[in-house]
Amino acid sequence: MKYMLKKITTLIITLLLVSVVTFVAFSVIPGDPALAKLGTYATPERVEALREEMGLNKSLPERYIDWLQGAVHGDFGESYQYAGVPVSELINQRLQVTAILAVMSFIIILVIAIPMGIVSARKEGTWIDVFINLFTQVTMAIPAFFLGMVLTYFFGLTLKFFQPGKFVMPQENLGACIRYLIFPAVAIAIPKIAMVVKFLRNSVLSEVKKDYVRTAYSKGNRTKKVLYIHVFQNALIPVITFIAMVAAEILAGSIVVEQVFSVTGMGRLLVTAISNRDYPIVQAVVLYITVIVIVINFIVDILYQFVDPRVRTE
Amino acid sequence: MGEKLLEVKNLTIGFPGETGMRTVVDDVSFTVGYGEIVGIVGESGSGKSMTVQTIMGLKNRDAHILSGEILFNGKDLLKMSDEELSKIQGNDMSMVFQEPMTSLNPVKKIGWQVAESLKIHTSMPDEEIHGRVVEILANVGLPKPEELCQKYPHQLSGGMRQRVMIAMAMICWPKLLIADEPTTALDVTVQAQILQLLRKIHMEANTSILFISHDLNVVKEICQKVIVMYQGKIVETGYTEEVLYHPKHDYTKHLIAAIPRNMEDIREDDLVMQAKDLNVYYSVKERGIFGKKENKHVLQNVDFYIRRGEILGLVGESGCGKSTLAKCIVGLNKNYTGTLDIREEHPQLVFQDPYSSLNPMKKIGWILEEPLKVHGIKDKVKRKELVSQMLTQVGLDPSYADRYPNELSGGQRQRISIGGALILNSKFIVADEPVSALDVTVQSQVLNLLLDLHRTHQLTYLFISHDLNIVRHFCNRVIVMYLGEIVEEAEVEEIYEDPKHPYTQLLFHSILTDERKLQKITDVEQSREDAAAEGCPFYHRCMSRSDMCREKRPERINLNPEGSVPHWVKCFKYQS
Amino acid sequence: MKRKKWNYNLTIGLILTTIVVLMAVVGHFWTPYGPTDMNSMLKNAAPSLAHPFGNDNFGRDILSRIMNGMGTTCFVALCTVGIGVVFGTIIGAITGFFGGWLDEIVMRLNDALSAFPSVLLALIFISLLGPGRNNIIFALGILFIPSFARIVRSEIIRYKELEFVKSAQVMGAGKLRIIFVHILPNALVSMLTSATVGFNNAVLAEASMSYLGLGVQPPEPSLGLMLSDAQAFLQIAPWYAIFPGLTIVIIILGFSMISEGLRVYQAR
Repeated sequence: MKYMLKKITTLIITLLLVSVVTFVAFSVIPGDPALAKLGTYATPERVEALREEMGLNKSLPERYIDWLQGAVHGDFGESYQYAGVPVSELINQRLQVTAILAVMSFIIILVIAIPMGIVSARKEGTWIDVFINLFTQVTMAIPAFFLGMVLTYFFGLTLKFFQPGKFVMPQENLGACIRYLIFPAVAIAIPKIAMVVKFLRNSVLSEVKKDYVRTAYSKGNRTKKVLYIHVFQNALIPVITFIAMVAAEILAGSIVVEQVFSVTGMGRLLVTAISNRDYPIVQAVVLYITVIVIVINFIVDILYQFVDPRVRTE
Repeated sequence: MGEKLLEVKNLTIGFPGETGMRTVVDDVSFTVGYGEIVGIVGESGSGKSMTVQTIMGLKNRDAHILSGEILFNGKDLLKMSDEELSKIQGNDMSMVFQEPMTSLNPVKKIGWQVAESLKIHTSMPDEEIHGRVVEILANVGLPKPEELCQKYPHQLSGGMRQRVMIAMAMICWPKLLIADEPTTALDVTVQAQILQLLRKIHMEANTSILFISHDLNVVKEICQKVIVMYQGKIVETGYTEEVLYHPKHDYTKHLIAAIPRNMEDIREDDLVMQAKDLNVYYSVKERGIFGKKENKHVLQNVDFYIRRGEILGLVGESGCGKSTLAKCIVGLNKNYTGTLDIREEHPQLVFQDPYSSLNPMKKIGWILEEPLKVHGIKDKVKRKELVSQMLTQVGLDPSYADRYPNELSGGQRQRISIGGALILNSKFIVADEPVSALDVTVQSQVLNLLLDLHRTHQLTYLFISHDLNIVRHFCNRVIVMYLGEIVEEAEVEEIYEDPKHPYTQLLFHSILTDERKLQKITDVEQSREDAAAEGCPFYHRCMSRSDMCREKRPERINLNPEGSVPHWVKCFKYQS
Repeated sequence: MKRKKWNYNLTIGLILTTIVVLMAVVGHFWTPYGPTDMNSMLKNAAPSLAHPFGNDNFGRDILSRIMNGMGTTCFVALCTVGIGVVFGTIIGAITGFFGGWLDEIVMRLNDALSAFPSVLLALIFISLLGPGRNNIIFALGILFIPSFARIVRSEIIRYKELEFVKSAQVMGAGKLRIIFVHILPNALVSMLTSATVGFNNAVLAEASMSYLGLGVQPPEPSLGLMLSDAQAFLQIAPWYAIFPGLTIVIIILGFSMISEGLRVYQAR
């Protein structure tokens, strides 16, 4: 219990810190948002009036509180690019898309990488292992967006499994959306599969060398039992923390891959916002992604204590 | 004793290498009868572990069994399939390993692990299994077995874990128990208890025991027959008494050979150091920003002195603070109150572990030159000369200066460590378990070197060791420490002949073959909490305690007020 | 029986890396054709003997452009690693050896930062600073410092308690000497491995950012930029995308094989 409480307090503190940093970072950017909105021909009075209205003349801490209050309710102000459109609207549409993409990638990774990692460890030294090793070495070196282009070429343009560039929003047609997202999901997944396989393989192999495995055999356990009952739980412990990193990497990967496949997700939104200096959007998206990453880490930390009794009984 | 339970015939095992097959077990043959306790003694590289692990069926993928048979109950284990072997492992034959912490699965409960063999080999219902587990945990001397079943290995002490391992190995009442260095990693007093336990099991269940050790004294305690192995071959076998008192083979003689004795007493009257009211602390910080900083009171009210030319022995078990004291003296720990008066410049330290005491990335010559460089000797030629001289003094050829530590053996590395300590002409050396990590035969060589240097350079040593036999022959005087306090201090013969403090008695009786004395001791392991409490730190384990011992801390008393050398004891028993 | 014992990872990795480095260095001074020379007759031409990698939509020789672009990629990655190694070593050495409150704070920061993938953080930097090659170097360099510092720190902590370090302390060696002369040589293999990994991450990050238009800006050459240009012509001139992409793969593969090969020397 004490562990949980400590973790939750750390979580809240971290979230607050992150919000402060995000806000302050984007507030110190030179340039006047009111001026940007009204254009260079605006009169100084109108600019001043808008500044008042936007609350830009208040002190930094006050503006932070305003922003934070809004943020908690999902209100991040209005976009610079799309006049009058609330940031939250833009985000909500795209959040679903990125979420679906991320979850699909995650599932693909787990389903393929975990069995592969275990097989590679069990068959250490055999040609299966060598082949898997080679495969992971090469795939880890392929940038996700390049892989995306290759997939687009083969499956989209040549084999015509999907129409590149013609992304369908989930609200319109969930089935078609998912069918489309398989390809970007695979593009993101493949390099990460390699990472997980390598990590899992190393974890299992180093566990198998440990003394308690020898003890298990000396009691009359057969190999399969030893691996699954004794080794797996121990080998999984470091992998769980690793998975948190994988989740964060998937989010990062989606930013670039969405561009390749013209997927209307958070990543693409972020990139266009950065190019166009649309700071309210950038601020909001950064905050969202940061919060998601932190929460994932938190969940992993909690999971940890269920898997490793040494943590539980400290 | 009886017919053969285990018969090993011409077993030869090798590892394929670059220059062909390297034989690690060479034509080994021996038998273990029903109800017999047989010991295998050997140093590193003798092949003893490889032999017993092969008997147990624990396969090493790289090892090739070149020839031989292992007959267990008449059947050849080497010809059995994995399935058949699994039926025997844990059931008719089981094993206890050296390191109880890593030999237990860290994420499974104790009860589950002990029960596993029963689950594999029998079809007993769960409640019955649980009952047997609790029964056997109590049988091996563990308190509160029901609670223990729910705990995890990291919550137990070393001695308790080893008892759990023994319980785990015995639960199916095997005919043969193989114990591979089961007490090597344990404190002396705990070791005595485990040996007692093994003897009890042997008596109650008539289990045969195959006991592997590098320590002849331990083998002497418990084995009826002994096999001596050297470089893969058996060089001698026979009844233990025979082999130990009338060894035939040179190697056996070497193994039994007396520890070098310090024959001369070159002590002078003036002191090299004196400690008064020394209280040493060690600050420990909990993890995390909000972690509390704790100042652990590691050494309490330490008073002692060392005369010039003396070899003072410091004995005690793990956690008694001897390493901390060593660090204090050489200046690595400055967190203390009281006086530490050291009248010799630069006391040097020789460490225990030959593998981490030399920088693996530097040549020997560089390592030995470093102290000279640091102390301002700029002349390269002079430095190299001093290094050559020092290498010769410690018994190594000066060409060793160009080698790297990993090219040297354990004994050679310790010589370098000693050389490094002496190269600054320091007269006071603190040796923290300098030979504990070395093979027995190498130990005497290094001890001889230390004695020679002691004589020729009139050195003073503080010799820290847990090996009471070595201390007896090597030191002039001995200090005994327990949980941070000096409980007894006297000339070596006095203390060994007639130990006064109850802890000293417990310690020394653990190494003597005195069945009756051992039976009197129902010992409990020490815990750190004892030290902080009021009263005597040894209270919880003391056989002769009284109520006063719980309330007040004993002051030290000199049992030899008229003699030239005091005999200090901290115990209420001796208060007039 | 003689077993093949050559370190195939290290060898192949070194071969690949040498080829890459050579091409990049040569490409800085000379390319088969001018990288910006347009040729309207060869627009989107397929690979031929004269132009082994084909031509882009302006008829420019892709091989030449790749050789040019490699230089930028490698330069960015090298600078990143340089910044990370220099500052990371200093920070890691100090926090690892001395511990204390400084160590606590740096560790916390490090933990927090490492939860985030570098591309994301780099994007945040860029959104604040604006795109461009030097900004990318700055962003990626700063972001590499924590992970390198962490490696150095953990190696120092690992060796700090070993007896040969205590010996050095007892004989009177100064703290700085102990850190840099006694301990760090033992950590070289780990540091090298971390540096190669950092290099690869930097290559990946730069390529991604340039692809998004937020990294190296034209007219400076970059493999990422080439890929983003190539996307529009994927159907008619796939070689336009494939060769720059493959180049990135080979660069990363070369270094990752070196780091795999080095792992053998790390065996404890």
